[in-house]
Amino acid sequence: MMDVFSALGHGFSVAATPLNLLFCLIGAVCGTLIGVLPGLGPVATISLLLPATYALDPVGAIIMLAGIYYGAQYGGSTTAILVNIPGESTSVVTAIDGYKMAQQGRAGEALAIAAIGSFIAGCFGTVVIALLGPPLALMTQKFASPDYFSLMVLGLVSAVVLANGSAFRAVSMIFLGLLLGMVGMDINTGEARMTFGLIELSDGINFVALVMGLFGVAEVISNLEGVSTRIVNHSKITSIWPSFKVLRGAWGAVMRGTLLGTLFGILPGGGATIASFSSYALEKRVSKTPERFGNGAIEGVAGPESANNAAAQTSFVPLLTMGIPTSATMALLVGALTLHGIAPGPTIISRQPDLFWGLIASMFIGNAMLVIINLPMIGIWVRLLNVPYRILYLIIAVVCAIGVFSVNNSSFDIYMTVGFTALGYILRKLDAEPAPLLMGFVLGPMVEENFRRSLITSYGDPMVFLQRPISLVLLLLSAALLISIVMPSISKRRTEVFQE
Amino acid sequence: MKRLLVAALLMGTGLSATTASAQEWPTKPIKLVVPYAPGGYTDAVGRITARFLEKELGQTVIVDNRAGGGGIVGSDLVSKSPGDGYTLCVCSVGAISIAPVAQTTSYDPIKSFKPISVVSTIPQTVIVNPSLPINSMEDLVKYAKANPGKLTYGSSGAGGLMYFSVALFDARVGTKMTHVPFKGGSPATAAVVSGEVNLSFTNMTDALPQIEANTVRALAVTSATRSEFTPKLPTVAETVSPGYAVESWNGVMAPASTPDAIIAKVSDALKKMAADPEVKKNMAVAGASTMFTTPAEYTAQITREVDQWRTLLKEISEKKT
Repeated sequence: MMDVFSALGHGFSVAATPLNLLFCLIGAVCGTLIGVLPGLGPVATISLLLPATYALDPVGAIIMLAGIYYGAQYGGSTTAILVNIPGESTSVVTAIDGYKMAQQGRAGEALAIAAIGSFIAGCFGTVVIALLGPPLALMTQKFASPDYFSLMVLGLVSAVVLANGSAFRAVSMIFLGLLLGMVGMDINTGEARMTFGLIELSDGINFVALVMGLFGVAEVISNLEGVSTRIVNHSKITSIWPSFKVLRGAWGAVMRGTLLGTLFGILPGGGATIASFSSYALEKRVSKTPERFGNGAIEGVAGPESANNAAAQTSFVPLLTMGIPTSATMALLVGALTLHGIAPGPTIISRQPDLFWGLIASMFIGNAMLVIINLPMIGIWVRLLNVPYRILYLIIAVVCAIGVFSVNNSSFDIYMTVGFTALGYILRKLDAEPAPLLMGFVLGPMVEENFRRSLITSYGDPMVFLQRPISLVLLLLSAALLISIVMPSISKRRTEVFQE
Repeated sequence: MKRLLVAALLMGTGLSATTASAQEWPTKPIKLVVPYAPGGYTDAVGRITARFLEKELGQTVIVDNRAGGGGIVGSDLVSKSPGDGYTLCVCSVGAISIAPVAQTTSYDPIKSFKPISVVSTIPQTVIVNPSLPINSMEDLVKYAKANPGKLTYGSSGAGGLMYFSVALFDARVGTKMTHVPFKGGSPATAAVVSGEVNLSFTNMTDALPQIEANTVRALAVTSATRSEFTPKLPTVAETVSPGYAVESWNGVMAPASTPDAIIAKVSDALKKMAADPEVKKNMAVAGASTMFTTPAEYTAQITREVDQWRTLLKEISEKKT
């Protein structure tokens, strides 16, 4: 225990040099900015800035690039709350209640809770990396394909809970998402599926194009159609700062979200996304008034935002302790390290203590910077809603297009956004919510991949899902959750029958 | 008649314009397409190449990342670009030698491009989970033959080199191992570390840190000769499968219509690059060995590889039926 503190002390001496503090600040500011701009994600930004870091010393470069990544998690909720455009899969659920809060004039409240929750979660996640990094990494090694499959199943079942309206529509949306997720090259056979011969589709549908169309531009169109929602929006911005009562209500959600995020963030793949979705589902389950969810419940913002930020920190664990990148952003950081002559691997802590502890110390500093940067900005963001909509919607549309293009430098993705805008508009007319669709889209390919891989490695024995303890527990949880969703409607129907 | 004359004249001036521009080339910035995302291995090679060409040719060289379809999207773009020397590609083995054979691409690996030079090569390393009683390639073959279909190997997907190199190995030595595809080489390597799969033929860059930490056991390299990074590791060819050679390469290619004068200029520059100590140092950091080949050698290499994979695929499909 003592070594950790002396090592961390050494880390602070590395991270607190004026130059590294500057890099940390640049990273935090850049991250906040790109988080706010819809579509521009950390992957595109880090890859743009990567060549610029060649000249820097490796510790400074990584401190800056990491700052961009977790900084984007802070900023990502901003557009989700203000204009219903989640910048990343992890802030999709934030948009559900956050945007409702903004429409009720409580945007400031939502943004403040998101920032505070993110700060608490970010610091907690960093403490966990420092104290438990290596043992946690060993834990992820225990996770094999069947366990991931069962985890994804749990995620899909929670997606039903997300819906405010009918469970039938939610399930249909999940299946539509699963279908869209099937597009692209099948890794098992190398065959292209549902690509219509377009090589642009061989890597699957671009997530950013899907989100920008389904949420962003479709939202703009329905706003232009009926001005009613917007009038509510800028006529009564009642509060900017959350009251003590609101803070107390959000406290539990922040704590639960932080724990969920810390745990799921360590897992490769959709860890952070599952964390934010399951945090929302959990809050709705434990709430005494679940009917508030979808109508501006503060817990629906506090939980997922804390979860995704905690996950953003702990997703560094597999990279820093095993040298295994778990996401596109982490893979970019591996590239950055490699270019600086550092091969990230299991020996990185002992060989590069400056880098490891310096980065961890910089995460504390960076999180503090972020909350200082973000809280005063809330006033500015909220005032942004007063910009006449005829100007705001143009800005939204243009920024969405730039964001979509920046992912692959591909104009095909912009056409795809146009197509998904049409789909998003139709879904809105049908009262079908897009969040479960995105959950299906993100988790579908992973469910399939892990299911097939499990069966290959078990030589075709389906019992493997029940024989592994982790997988069994997760499947039992899914079953329990499913029953708890179905039961109330059954009992309700029964009472209806009895009343008749 | 008059119209025909005008057309002929126009064509004449057009032709002379291209030859003149070939002599003066380059007069404007060159676009170097990297068909992979930034931060990856090919991107590193692309940026090292761009920096050297910029110095050597005295023109700005812009790296343009066009990721997608395992390199097919970017390679396809270059094959359809004008052959004026201002669009070049840092292509790689997957999209050029394998994809046109294994799937349908709109380009032909030989007819659609003019290969200029291989700039870097990187072997694969045969790594196994250390809990297995397999300490050499001979052990591996013996174990695989005693337990047909039981050994599992991770790959980056059915279309990638990590799959094809094991498929070729199986066909050559007469073993049968079970293919477990992952989304990319990193998770496949991680699965060997965790023991979810037994082995993989992994890129040297991904394998080295794990070998150093003893989280995996390295048995051999797949290249024709031993690697400068692991001089103690034998090759697959010298142990159990004579003649076996699989290597990942990156090379500069131009659209097929590019004039030979420009090809020669680039080739000269790349020859100097292969001898540059700083380039060598930077390539080594990325885990790659610096290389130079003439356009003719490069073309022959691609032809040979395409042939090897085509034969293998035919063997596999014949065995299935």
